[in-house]
Amino acid sequence: MTTATRTLRDRVREALAAVPDPEIPACSIADLGMIERIEVTDSAVEVDLLPTFVGCPAKDIIGEDAARAVRDVAGDREVRVRFVYDPPWTTDRITEAGKEALRGFGIAPHWERTAAPVVVPLTRKPQAVACPYCGSRETAMEAAFGPTPCRAQHFCSACRNPFEGFKQKDRGGRR
Amino acid sequence: MADPRLDLLLALADDELILGHRHSEWTGWAPHLEEDIAFSSIGQDEMAHARLLYELAEPLAGRTPDELALGREPRDYRNAVICERPNGDWGYTIARHYLYDTADDVRTRVLESSSWKDLADAVRVIRLEERYHLEHANAWFRRLAEGPVTARDRLARGLEAAVGEALALFEELPSEEELVAEGLLPRSNEEMLAEWLAQLGSELEEVSLDYVLTSHTRVGEMVPTSSGEAEDVVSLEVPGIERRDGRWVHVGRFAGEGGRRGRHSEDFQPLWDEMTMLHRTVPGATW
Repeated sequence: MTTATRTLRDRVREALAAVPDPEIPACSIADLGMIERIEVTDSAVEVDLLPTFVGCPAKDIIGEDAARAVRDVAGDREVRVRFVYDPPWTTDRITEAGKEALRGFGIAPHWERTAAPVVVPLTRKPQAVACPYCGSRETAMEAAFGPTPCRAQHFCSACRNPFEGFKQKDRGGRR
Repeated sequence: MADPRLDLLLALADDELILGHRHSEWTGWAPHLEEDIAFSSIGQDEMAHARLLYELAEPLAGRTPDELALGREPRDYRNAVICERPNGDWGYTIARHYLYDTADDVRTRVLESSSWKDLADAVRVIRLEERYHLEHANAWFRRLAEGPVTARDRLARGLEAAVGEALALFEELPSEEELVAEGLLPRSNEEMLAEWLAQLGSELEEVSLDYVLTSHTRVGEMVPTSSGEAEDVVSLEVPGIERRDGRWVHVGRFAGEGGRRGRHSEDFQPLWDEMTMLHRTVPGATW
């Protein structure tokens, strides 16, 4: 690989890092850990993305935005952006910067949870999710289903604020 | 002859699409707001899972996911009949949700080890999301089963109406032999049904509702929507579920059988009319 293509790869990565999730504009698709592979050849730039949730309505928009961003730096090369499912996207792919951006947006990054049993909307098991507003862990999941497929609804008993949490997705998550 | 993988994909995808459509009908009508959101969100997930499976089917069928989802004639849909039944009351809705998602859990666990990598990958991703549906179904099942007598009674009546047709989720696929031989479907539907029914039986015993396995309510008539198989007038009799050697087992035929061959109930056509209306009115519309 020549120095020029390595540089282009970096520029592609930078371009992708500026593409926001339209439903969580504070967070880029790089922050969310959605970029799985960038391949630069003499004639093409290929990008593989992992969707967070299969039913994410923003998925198609993200694909188009990513392709546009890459085209801006790819010159004459053909740009191919596709979604792949191996490996499955999991919440632990979210970067530290992504966690911070989510908190700033009022969404708890969910894998902070330490208790093993999974949440159900009816039982109100206390969760170790920290409130993104006040930091208290005196919080509970109110409902596993929220405004988007990837977000659940929580309530903080300390500051009395409702907030959202990214739904946990992990490979060992099945009981 | 069509690729046997299509039989498998369409059965899985059509189940998710059609039940997802039924779930979406709760939007605005569920007993409380959280359940409006829950069923809407679950429906959205199911339709997305269907789309992912239709994407795998696209090169085999030579039709786009939209065409597969919305552009087929009723007789070409391969969903199990249970998925097309109207939502009924909350008891039936929860009974079907619980039966479907526990059955789906069994089959997707098997498909994670399919010899077809693309399908195994898709199913692995789908299962990470289905986990929330299963927990939702289990939580509501428990809540009604252990709740006041009215709740318990409505759940029991829902189960009586749904359980026979739920068994047909594991009806043999037209090209099952080939699918199993090639490891595309690592275990036969018969084996998966045995596993699910044993698990279902013990869960129902725990809450003393196992009597629903041998007490059935007819849901409705089957109608001829398929390729000539309708003359075979059968199958709303009680499906054979028996207790043998401490396990619940299936013997005989299925209630509402034929879904995997395109045979549907009288409830399918109105659902299809509504679901495909935009696609038929404005071909190629995107939204």
